Parts: sequence; C-alpha cells; structure tokens
Amino acid sequence: MASYMSMGEAHRRITEYLNRLVDVISYQDGASLKQLLSLSSESPSFLALADALNVFQDANRLIKQADKYSQYAEIVAPLFRAMQSYRVGHLVESYQAFEKSANAFIQEFRNWESAWALEALYVVAYEIRILAEKADRELASNGKTPEKLKAAGSFLMKVFGVLAGKGPKRVGALYVTCQLFKVYFKLGTVHLCRSVIRSIETARIFDFEEFPVRDKVTYMYYTGRLEVLNENFPAADHKLSYALKHCDPQSEANIRMILKYLVPVKLSMGILPKKSLLEKYNLLEYSDIVLAMKRGDLRLLRHALEEHEDRFLRSGVYLVLEKLELQVYQRLVKKIYIIQKQRDPSRAHQIKLEMIVKALKWLEMEMDLDEVECIMSILIYKNLVKGYFAHKSKVAVLSKQDPFPKLNGKPINA
Amino acid sequence: MLQFPAFMTQYPTSTRIIPTSLLLPSQWPNPQSDELLLAIEEAELEQKYNDIRKISSNIIVIGKTTAENDKEDFDDEADDDDADNAEESEGDEFEQETKTYLMERWQPRRGRGRGRGSYSSSSHTQQSNVSNYPSTRKPTLNHISSDNNEKHDNNDPDNLPNLTGSCPYMCPVDERTRRERLRDLAIFERLNGNPTQSSSNLAVKKFCRTISTKDVRDLDLRPILVLEDTLNHLLNIFGSKSQPFEVIHDFIFDRTRSIRQDLSMQGIITGDQAIGIYEKIVKFHIISHHKLHRNIVNSDLGSNISPMHHLNMEQLTKTLSSLYHLYDQTWKPNPEFYSFYVLLHLGSDHQPTGESLSLWLQKLPSSVMKSKEMMFSRRLLRYSRFGNFKKFLQTVDSEASCLQYYILEPFICEVRAFGLLCLNHGGYKLNPYPLVDICKHLFMEEFDVESFCKDCGLETYTSEDGTKFMPTKQTSFCSPKGSRKYYPMVSKRLKILYDEVPEII
Repeated sequence: MASYMSMGEAHRRITEYLNRLVDVISYQDGASLKQLLSLSSESPSFLALADALNVFQDANRLIKQADKYSQYAEIVAPLFRAMQSYRVGHLVESYQAFEKSANAFIQEFRNWESAWALEALYVVAYEIRILAEKADRELASNGKTPEKLKAAGSFLMKVFGVLAGKGPKRVGALYVTCQLFKVYFKLGTVHLCRSVIRSIETARIFDFEEFPVRDKVTYMYYTGRLEVLNENFPAADHKLSYALKHCDPQSEANIRMILKYLVPVKLSMGILPKKSLLEKYNLLEYSDIVLAMKRGDLRLLRHALEEHEDRFLRSGVYLVLEKLELQVYQRLVKKIYIIQKQRDPSRAHQIKLEMIVKALKWLEMEMDLDEVECIMSILIYKNLVKGYFAHKSKVAVLSKQDPFPKLNGKPINA
Repeated sequence: MLQFPAFMTQYPTSTRIIPTSLLLPSQWPNPQSDELLLAIEEAELEQKYNDIRKISSNIIVIGKTTAENDKEDFDDEADDDDADNAEESEGDEFEQETKTYLMERWQPRRGRGRGRGSYSSSSHTQQSNVSNYPSTRKPTLNHISSDNNEKHDNNDPDNLPNLTGSCPYMCPVDERTRRERLRDLAIFERLNGNPTQSSSNLAVKKFCRTISTKDVRDLDLRPILVLEDTLNHLLNIFGSKSQPFEVIHDFIFDRTRSIRQDLSMQGIITGDQAIGIYEKIVKFHIISHHKLHRNIVNSDLGSNISPMHHLNMEQLTKTLSSLYHLYDQTWKPNPEFYSFYVLLHLGSDHQPTGESLSLWLQKLPSSVMKSKEMMFSRRLLRYSRFGNFKKFLQTVDSEASCLQYYILEPFICEVRAFGLLCLNHGGYKLNPYPLVDICKHLFMEEFDVESFCKDCGLETYTSEDGTKFMPTKQTSFCSPKGSRKYYPMVSKRLKILYDEVPEII
C-alpha cells in the first residue's frame, strides 16, 4: 500500500504533520497535540503518515530544512522512526525510538510553564506503556527476555518526578501513578507500587481531592486490590467502595472489575450481594458461594471453590473466599437451631453435637464428635456463636439472647 | 491475645524485628567462634546498609557492588502472552491487564526459550506494610530487599557477567594461600588441626560480600561439576558430629552461600545439576532451621530468637526463590519444594518473604497447585486460618513429610495454644476437661499436656481416682511464647520419619 503513494504525496503529508505540530505547540493547543502523538491509535491519518515516512525515507532532511521544525527535532525525528517501525511491525525498535522521543518531549514539557500540555503528556505516558507491552511480546516470541515494560516503568517514574512539584502540573501525577500501577500489576511487581503510593498519600503538595475523578477511581481500584491481597478488609472495602461509587455508571466493564474484588471483601464481612447484581455484572462465579453462605451448605462452598479455583487463584481472592467457611458453619448451626426451635422452642438452645455430625453427614462430610466439638469451640471463641459446649454430655448450649451474633460489617477477628 | 489463625498477610508491624541489642556478642550463649562473630558482624553491616539506603535510595553504598550474593535472584520479568483479553482504553477506563498476564500462567509454556521466570518473591521484598504506607521504613534484618534494590539501581541486564568458571578446586588457590597466611581457616579446613595449613581437599571457598564483577576472574569461579563435588563434601561435614551444631551450621551456611554466588555469577539458571544443587541447599537450610530452633528451645535463652536462626531463614527463602526460577525453565518442578514456601507462611509472625501469599499463588502453574504436596500445605493453611487445631495436627500426623514437618514444627506450639484457648474459653464450667482428651486433640503425652497448660497459665488438677483435668473458664490464659518448650508430636508415623535419616540430604 505504501508503494502506491507518490513521493510528492509523501512529502506533502509529512510537511503537513510538521506544520500542524508546530502550530499546535505555539497555540498551546493541548487537545490537538495529544492527537498528534497517539501512535497506537492506528488512525487512518497515522497509518498514512507512517506510509509516507517509509516512502520518503529521509524525513530528517525535511525536519532540518526549517528552523521552526528543527527546534523540535529531538522529539520529532525519533517519533517518526517510531511510527515507521510500528507500521512495519518492528515493535521493539518502535518502542526504543518512542522512548527517545518521549524523553525529549518531557524536557520540553518541563519548560512550558502552564499545564496546557498535560493531556498530551497523558498520551505519551499511555503510549509508552502500550508500546512497551507490544515490544515485550515481540521479545518473548523471539525467545528473548522481555524488558521493555520494566523500562517503561522507570520512564514513568521520571515523568512522575516531573509532575511532582508545586505548579498546576501536579494534578497529572495521579494519572501517571495509575499507569505505573498497570505496569507493576502486569509485571507482578506490585510491591513497587509502595513508593509511589507513599508519595501520593503523604506528600504535602498533593491534595487528593484536586485530582480528576477518573484518576481517583482508578487509583482507588488498584490500591483497593492491594489491600485485598494483604487481606486488610476494612481498607479494601473503603477503597473499592469509593471506586464503585464514583465510577461512571455507564462503564459496566469497570464496575464489574471493581465488584470482582469488592464482593469477596463484603462476603468476609457478612454482607451478601443480591443475585441480580451478580447476574447484571456477570459475576456468576460467586453465586454458588453466596448460596452456600445463605444455606450453611459447606459442601457447596467447597465445590464452588474447587470449580472456580483457577479463576479465584488468578485474581488473588481464593484465600479470602476459603475463609468464608467459618460463616458457613455458623449458618449451618443456626439452621439446626431454627429447626429445633420450630419443633420444641424450650429446648432449642441445646444442640447435641451428634446432630451437627448428622447434618454434616448429610452434606457428605464425615466428621467425628471430637472434631465437631473442636469446631464449636472455635466458633464460640470467635464470637460467631454465643454459648458453651458441655464436654461430658456432648452438647452445645447456646445463649438465649442473640446466639448467632452478626458480623455487622466487621471481618472476623480472633 | 494469641492470634491464630493468622491473618497471615498482615505485613510487618507485626513482623518480628530484632533489636540490634540482640546482635551484641554479650547476649550470645555460646563461646565465641570466629564464624559466629563474623555472622554477627555481617548482620549488623546489613542493618547499617539498610539504614543508609533508606535515607536515600540513590546513594550507592561503597563496598557493595552489582555482583552481590543476590546475583542468584533474578529480575522479575513477566512472561507475556498474547493480548487476548486486554481492553485497550483511553482515559477513563482501566484495563483488565492482569487477566492477560495471569492467563499465561495457566497455559502450557510455548517454547519460550530463555524467558525468565516471574517471581517477585524474595527478590524484591520490602518489609513495610503496603496498606499503612508508613513514611519511614523500619530497619529489618531482611537484607534481601535492600540487596535487590541495590541491584535494581546498579544492575543493567546487559552487564551481567557471563563468566565461565575454571577453578578446579573447592577453593581457588590464591584464596587458600592467603587464608593460610592470615590464619583464616575454619576448623574443618585445617590440615591436622594446624591453623595455618590447609589443602586442596579441605579448603572451601568463602562467601565474598564485597566482590565487584570487574575483579572476578574465571579461575576464581568454580564450574558446576566442581560445585557439585564441593557441595557433597560440605554435606558430609554436615552429617558428621565432629563439632557443636552451631559451628558446623555456620561453616556450611557460609560455604553454600558461596556456591550459590558462584552459580549466579556464571549466570547458571538452567539445568538439572543446578536444580540438584539448590534443592540440596534448601534441605540443608530446612534441617538447620529445625535444629537451630530446637537448640533455642532447649537452652535457657527464653524467648530470644537466635539471629543465626533468622539469617538461616532468610537464606532459605532466597534459595527457594532461586530454585523456583530454575523450575520455571523446566517442565518438571518438584512440588514439595513449593509446599515449603506455603508452610513458611503459617503463623501470625511469619513473614519470611514479605510478599502476600495470594500474590505468590497467582503465579504457580496449575500442575503444581494440584500436586499432593501443595494440596497438603494448602489444607494446612486453610486449617490454620480457620483455627481448626484438631484437623491441623491430624493432618500433620498423617501426611507431613520429614522436611515439611521440620518447617512447620515451630508453629505447632501456636496451634496447640490456640486449641487450649478455645477449649478453655468455650467449655462448660462444670465439666472440667479430661487431660486424656486434650492429649488426643493436641497429640501430646499427658505429662506434656500438664506442663503445657502451665506454660499457658492454666491450672490442672488430679481427682481422687487419679484422673487429671483442666478446669474450663479459667481467666489466666496467656500465650506460651515465653517458654518455647518443645513438646514432641505423639505420632508413630512422624517418629519413624525423623528417626530414620534426618540429616542425610
């Protein structure tokens, strides 16, 4: 296709781009500038420009021709190379060239006093990450070590440093932070999030409320996920709920992502989602778990964990869900209590351990009296059941008042 | 209050932090030996480096170089796959990038050649709590993190040396002659006990902390066959009882670290031989872990935790980490070695790697996750988090391998204490609990139960007919951590296991 373009046409396209670039910068038109930098968008004009560059082959000459172009040579020349390489599928080269261009861009950005080019900077940050991911895929498929995403991470840290000042540019820091989160999560090096989180949360120049909502939501999503990994449920609940509350209600995909992590957190605190919610956002992997918690059905819980084990392990919520077993036991005992109450209210609060053994057997779980007593003692200690167990008569005696205290939104603590 | 089961991914504020005073020789119980002093100094030095580094991460610490002992720990590289599900987004949306990354793990590897593994475990861990984001990091002994921060700053993947060792001896000749001159020979290296004389059959290369890649010569490094022989020589010493255990341990500890250093300096990250070496070193650390713990417990130290024990634990996790990198390159990982990692995370105060276990589990291949050994350790983890002391101990009794037992043995005290806590707390006041039944639950002999109750601040009594009981609803329960006495597990099966050949690796 490129060969169908004439030299004249190619020349025209390139100069057109250069002129536009120069104009846009001199008018401080951030919205237009960002469009000129967005490589991976693969818009028709970009593709055409890349073709033109490949035809013309000597764009550097054009750049040097006029002062108004050559002042941005350090940005444009490597940018052109990046486009050319991208067009022919040499993604590692494309990344390397783009990184050079981006570096030069950052230097210019520093010099621009106001924050007019912030949107363009966002695009540069985004492109760096995307190109790095593609470059790494290329490296891996050639049997080499993927290392570009990591380099992108370092670059983004630099960008963060540029924004972390007192001026108006600082509101861009959260966007860059979120790009860093995405890099670190993808690389699996989530502990590296720590330092940038610390900067955002403790540096005095930053006021969290000043940042754009979109970035705050993304930030809370990722930090919420970190809390889930560390099983800090109150903090996870706070952050993920924030993200949910402020998320654009139209973006269902994002809501789903938030809920994927928020649901296990809520479950740990005894709060069950409605089936309609799970259905609406396609989170049906949780539906059996919720059902098991409602029914006190241990077998179903174990089965649900097994069935979706891979998925839960991957998202890092498996261990959280496993722990729901405590609540399921509580529910089971409560069910027995309710049934007994219906039969003979005066004696309902005494549950023979034998009865629990029978119930478990019915759930295809073999457990002897000793183990049941052990479990009851744990439930009692953890305040999931109020009462005591009589070792001699093998009976659990429940408190007449509120024998199954609710969690009240707090996770179970020893 | 005793915290069991643990919210095990609670990051340190709860990590055991050893006050530097504990590292002072004056509190060391055994007569000073050179090796011990050196170990103490090393630990102190690490701590100083940590402190310095915290001040400014840009400072390059003099004396520390790129070719650290942690050469063996490799950068975390994500193995990438196709962007099947990635939703490219602009602006508003966040992507499901993790899904694509993680998806890869659950598919069979597609001839990735020398792609590196992606364990972010001990290579990069820090000890600070992610969620609290404290502004100051507490000093820790976990120098894994500091070394690798360092590594990040100075290391350029392109500069990794690709030296091929050519030293045919267990110890390079130059080093041996130097140490003979300086009388720096360990007791196992002395020819006929002569502190100035060694031989090529006895001298073993020491671990070198301050080595720079530029200065390393091929004939300072031992090729893998020599390393194998060296390791065998060391393990023979380990199995002997010629010296007090701490002395033996210290020697092997240092010399195996040197072996690992040689391996990583030569960039040896694949191969069955390397795997074999790392596996044996892991076993050494585990057995030491067990014996050092027993020694603490049997001495009159009270609750001081030996720094040696801690350093050993550090190296254990590092070696495991390297081993996993090696496994990543092969199709046949040994699942038992993965199970060790999980078992190390039992307990409310065990954060050996500082990394969330959930994060680590994300990256494991399915075949490993479903292996018998991993299922065992996962089940133990589940019981421990639930608090099911009975099932926990039962499972240990019936399924633990010797090495697995060694790792989790220190945790058993906590499990049993929790058991007593629950039985005491929930038991009917008029039904004192027969000790005989406690024995069954906790896998202990009756006289041990009596003693253990006392450790936990609980009273027992003997009835008229000689039966012993523990009254319930006592208010004096306390954590037995102070005493740290060791009560064996009453388990025929385990007894056979560790009577058999516990020390031969």
